Amino acid sequence: MRITRTLTGAAALAAASILVLAGCSGQASTSTATGAPIIVSSVSSLSGAGTFPEASAAAQAAFDEFNAAGGLDGRPIQYKAYDDKGDPATANQVAREAVESGSVANIGGASVLDCEVNHAYYEEQGFSAIQGTGVDPFCFTSPAISPTNAGPYVDTTLTLTYGSEKLGLQKICGLLAINGSTRQAYQGAIDAWTAKTGKTVTMIDDTLSYTTADYTPYVVQIKQQGCDAVYANLIEPGYVGLLKAAESQGLDVTFLFLTSGYSEQFAQAASYVGKGVYVPAEFAPYTDPSVKGNEDWAAVMDKHNVPKTSFAQGGYLAAQDFIQVLKGMKGDVTRETVTAALKGMTTPIESPMTGTPWIFGAGDTHNSNTAGWPIVIKPGTTQWVAAETDWLKLDAAK
Amino acid sequence: MPRASHPVTDAVPVAPAPRPALRGPSRVWVPAAVGVAGILVGVVVSLVLPSSLTFLAITSVIAMISLIGLGIVTGTAGMIVLSQLTFAAVGAWIVAWFNQIGVPGGFLLHLVVGALAAGAAGLLLGLPALRLRGVNLAVVTLGFAAAADLTLGKTQFPGTAAGLRIPRPAPFADDRGYFVLAVVVLVAVAVTVHYLQRSRLGSSWRAVAFSERGTAAVGSDVRTAKLTAFAVSAMIAGVAGGLIAGQVGTPQATSFTTLQSLALYVLSIVSGAHLIEMAVFGGILWVLIPELLKRFGVPQDWGFVIFGVLGIQALTTGSNLGQDIRGAIAKRRRRRSPAPESGLVPFTDAELGALGSVSVSHGEPVLELQDVSVSFGHVKALQHVDLVLRAGEIRGLIGPNGAGKSTLVDAVSGFLPQHDGAVSLAGSPLAGLAPDRRARLGLRRTFQQDRVPPSLTVGDYVRFVAHGGASEAEIASALEFFGCPPASARIADVDVGTRRVVEVAANLLAKPRVLVLDEPAAGLSHDEHIAFGQRLRRIPERFAAAVLIIEHDLDLVRAVCHSATVLNFGEVLATGTVDEVLANPEVSKAYMGEAELL
Amino acid sequence: MLQGAIAGLAIGGVYAIIAVCMTLMAQLVRVINFAQAGIGMFGAFLAASLAQSLRMPVPVGLLIGLVTGIALSVLIGLITQRWLPEASVSARSAVTVGALLLLVSLSFILFGTRPMTFAPIVSGTAFAVGGVVVSQVTIVMVALAALVSGGAWLLLAKTTVGTKLRAIADRPVAAELIGIPVTSLTIGVWAASGLIVTVVVMIVAPTQTSDATSLSMLVIPASAAALLGAFKRLGLALVGGLLLGVIQGAVSQLPELMLVRDWIPLVLIVLFLLWNQRKEVWDAAR
Repeated sequence: MRITRTLTGAAALAAASILVLAGCSGQASTSTATGAPIIVSSVSSLSGAGTFPEASAAAQAAFDEFNAAGGLDGRPIQYKAYDDKGDPATANQVAREAVESGSVANIGGASVLDCEVNHAYYEEQGFSAIQGTGVDPFCFTSPAISPTNAGPYVDTTLTLTYGSEKLGLQKICGLLAINGSTRQAYQGAIDAWTAKTGKTVTMIDDTLSYTTADYTPYVVQIKQQGCDAVYANLIEPGYVGLLKAAESQGLDVTFLFLTSGYSEQFAQAASYVGKGVYVPAEFAPYTDPSVKGNEDWAAVMDKHNVPKTSFAQGGYLAAQDFIQVLKGMKGDVTRETVTAALKGMTTPIESPMTGTPWIFGAGDTHNSNTAGWPIVIKPGTTQWVAAETDWLKLDAAK
Repeated sequence: MPRASHPVTDAVPVAPAPRPALRGPSRVWVPAAVGVAGILVGVVVSLVLPSSLTFLAITSVIAMISLIGLGIVTGTAGMIVLSQLTFAAVGAWIVAWFNQIGVPGGFLLHLVVGALAAGAAGLLLGLPALRLRGVNLAVVTLGFAAAADLTLGKTQFPGTAAGLRIPRPAPFADDRGYFVLAVVVLVAVAVTVHYLQRSRLGSSWRAVAFSERGTAAVGSDVRTAKLTAFAVSAMIAGVAGGLIAGQVGTPQATSFTTLQSLALYVLSIVSGAHLIEMAVFGGILWVLIPELLKRFGVPQDWGFVIFGVLGIQALTTGSNLGQDIRGAIAKRRRRRSPAPESGLVPFTDAELGALGSVSVSHGEPVLELQDVSVSFGHVKALQHVDLVLRAGEIRGLIGPNGAGKSTLVDAVSGFLPQHDGAVSLAGSPLAGLAPDRRARLGLRRTFQQDRVPPSLTVGDYVRFVAHGGASEAEIASALEFFGCPPASARIADVDVGTRRVVEVAANLLAKPRVLVLDEPAAGLSHDEHIAFGQRLRRIPERFAAAVLIIEHDLDLVRAVCHSATVLNFGEVLATGTVDEVLANPEVSKAYMGEAELL
Repeated sequence: MLQGAIAGLAIGGVYAIIAVCMTLMAQLVRVINFAQAGIGMFGAFLAASLAQSLRMPVPVGLLIGLVTGIALSVLIGLITQRWLPEASVSARSAVTVGALLLLVSLSFILFGTRPMTFAPIVSGTAFAVGGVVVSQVTIVMVALAALVSGGAWLLLAKTTVGTKLRAIADRPVAAELIGIPVTSLTIGVWAASGLIVTVVVMIVAPTQTSDATSLSMLVIPASAAALLGAFKRLGLALVGGLLLGVIQGAVSQLPELMLVRDWIPLVLIVLFLLWNQRKEVWDAAR
């Protein structure tokens, strides 16, 4: 009895897998554009312990709108978001799949390690990527990749600058979660702040990771140092844990975080914020109605049920910038021509959503977004509001 | 001590059923040939496979290697190991480190050193954890995996901070070439493990998985068996880890998480990874299920959910895919050829004539018990037992249920270290010696329960028990003498009563001085009882061993034993020749109770 | 260092409670439940998810999460009891490994990986003595730990139910034959442990990073604590858990030893094992 069931099961599995792996992909897209599709992809961390699904989801929404409006001269964009599971082997795997599926570029991805693991492959293959949210340092130091966001390193310099110059904080303690080769990049960002302001961090602990569970020992250390501010480069779950530990231990300081904490969900979860949680938002703050520029984005997100977060802003922008480049292209749309067009850009693309315009260009490094809009969760509130009325810009832009 | 050699070629004119030849040298090269064929298949696949699938195929092959390693501990040796990928991380770490500090030798040498380091880590971890209960190992390995996870998360692999990539060896630099390299390594590991499984080491692994007592009683150190299995498995994991490092170039902690180790363990249970072909299938499943989910747009976390469900199903039904498939094939084979018949039939008169009369001579004492007492809390299981067994003697140990007979045997063979009194074997005291040590010194025992591992063949088991002390001819002769199935028969196909006869034969082939039998005839038919008794009578002259036999069947005792000792409530009630003892009214009262004897 | 040690007492209480539950299960139902913390995690996550996405009132969410935790525990217990009643501790424990994998992956799918808005049941500082802060959670956890272990001991030693449970642990077949409802009592043990663990995780999750994997891995330091009592002695499990938390907390105040901190549970496990099994014992199970 069991044998027959096992054998038929195995046979079914084998048959299904052969069929599927033979590649019965290529669903017809429901759009008004009916020409030959332009294949576009992205590599994001969509599963596992640390996920950023909104960037590629937002890019998908933007492309759907574009297709509904007729696409590129009738040609729809066929978008596929690959999941790298936060694992280097998988990231390698899906990058190859993407390129070999005929994709012309990676648009709107947000991954913990795609740039680091795959940049060499992209450069070899003449393949370009516009990250929706670049996370690891190679997103900003590769000739093949130009993200729309400022990145955690620029953001670090911005948040420290805002804390020391605008908020007048004297003793800043730093907590760094290191993944891959990011330590040097963060140090570089801190050094840039030191160079500009002449100030240094009182203490840095770089033994955290994205999966650190208990922040109590770090909080206790910070209390002992007598800092009046805490800088941390975590992601949402980490920030929440840190705040909870601070509450338990009675650590009443200002918190200087990065854009990774900017979401409504986080504000709700952060029931304790000390003297306030400050973040230099990489894109124009969408939670404060006094700040303009996000209306189109918000409408598209709502229409396609994409949660509104900073990652979603980045992904949307990446898609829009790409569409604009496409529109300026003449002739075939292939990996090579797209790369040539991106590298041949001379005029940056402005947007009310960013403080500095975005460009690809021919350089070896790309970090167009060097501005952040300071936002805050004030004590006793559970909402992000703008702390300033304009962008805070980093003077030295690459 | 030199033993009188016995003419092994006692002409036994009875013609048993024709038996297939013992495993001969012609079959030894088959696995190597299969391996070479596997490499060729790998080369062909690498040329034919679309390049997008090549990377995936490398991942699959590496998973197969990990599963082969895991199959040794979970399937063969029966342990729960939840840190396989952590050992892989050790291998990857060494490869990355050697690359960073510039150790010469190239990737392949680094790979081998990484594997050795992983094996050493396995030894280190296994030493404290493998002394006893199996589930403790699971706790230790899980703790190891979680701690390593956290540490790897806090510190990066060597060279990662500087962005160093681990270079692949030149002929295997591109993905297709690396796939061929992975296949070559897989074949090397598979062939090695195959030969290991068939060696004495492999038999010890199987034995220890089935029964630790049984393994110790046949002279094999339980701890060594488990430790070697664990270390070999960790070493293989180290190989896989090194390959992962070369595959991705910059290894990260996310390739070696605890959760993935759990999933790999569950997969090894589900597929039955101790069978190498099933490890290959498991490796395919490892990548196939997530890929299928991806194609259908299902979140990939469902992959581990599926593994979890399959794992629970496999664990509760006690079987796995490998066993199912092999079982199906075996069932078909069995329908075609009948089960090995037991040849344990009473001797014909002609045979008896040929064998001659039984010579009985008693020599020096070989086993002495002095004032042996055992108590479990308040219960006194044995009280001041004295017993002397001489060379060439067959002594019956009888008494009503609960008299302490099995306790006596346990104490003598070393399974009750906390007894009072002294036990000595041919003059040398056995105090403080572990059961396997006593067995190697020449004190063998069998068990009342079935402790013959069904995963071995008769021949493998006998060779394992005999500890290399018997030649192939002697083995064949002894099996024939006891009417056992041929050496190529699988113990799983043999009924329990016959298994225990095989146990007796196997222990005799170790040429012990003393053989203690615990109800050996239980489970045999009436004819077999008689036949077995005939064999037992000839043990001292044929195998030069004294026998102490616990039996309830008084007919057997009368027919076989020279003398008997009666135990009652842990005390020696009577001792002497069989007739004397059985005529003793105290003995009858002990058996029958205080009722009036007719 | 003292502050660190006191701070570690809270998580030590968690370890202690889970260790006591694991010891009870090891003794009474012959399982080392690797999914012990995972069950609590699932129930707590469900409660938070309901409150967050479906906007259910918090107490209702908590109740549903509690019931789910109990139900999951009972389910695993039923599976183990039904199909592996006579199997070894190893085989029965292996089922819980599969369950752990399942629970963590399922929680990724159902609840995502974003932080939950856990309604804190207990939060903030309780009092400070000379610069050393004692949080409310610390007090609650330590109290709960004492309560659970004391209550378990009382139950087993002084009540009829306890005697029946001990009978089942010792001789399940004989107990069944004299009319003790083995299955119901066994399921009762599973249910009770599911309840306790879910409550504990619901209290502790809001105070630290609440991702599924690290909450489920609380089972490791808990088993280190349980090993101190050789999975037999409740008192030692309690002490072991609290001690482990305190040691970890104290050690993490020394930045040089930050990496060592993670290895403390393993080292303790190994040391306890070496101590517990220093005498060779060939029990009937081998």
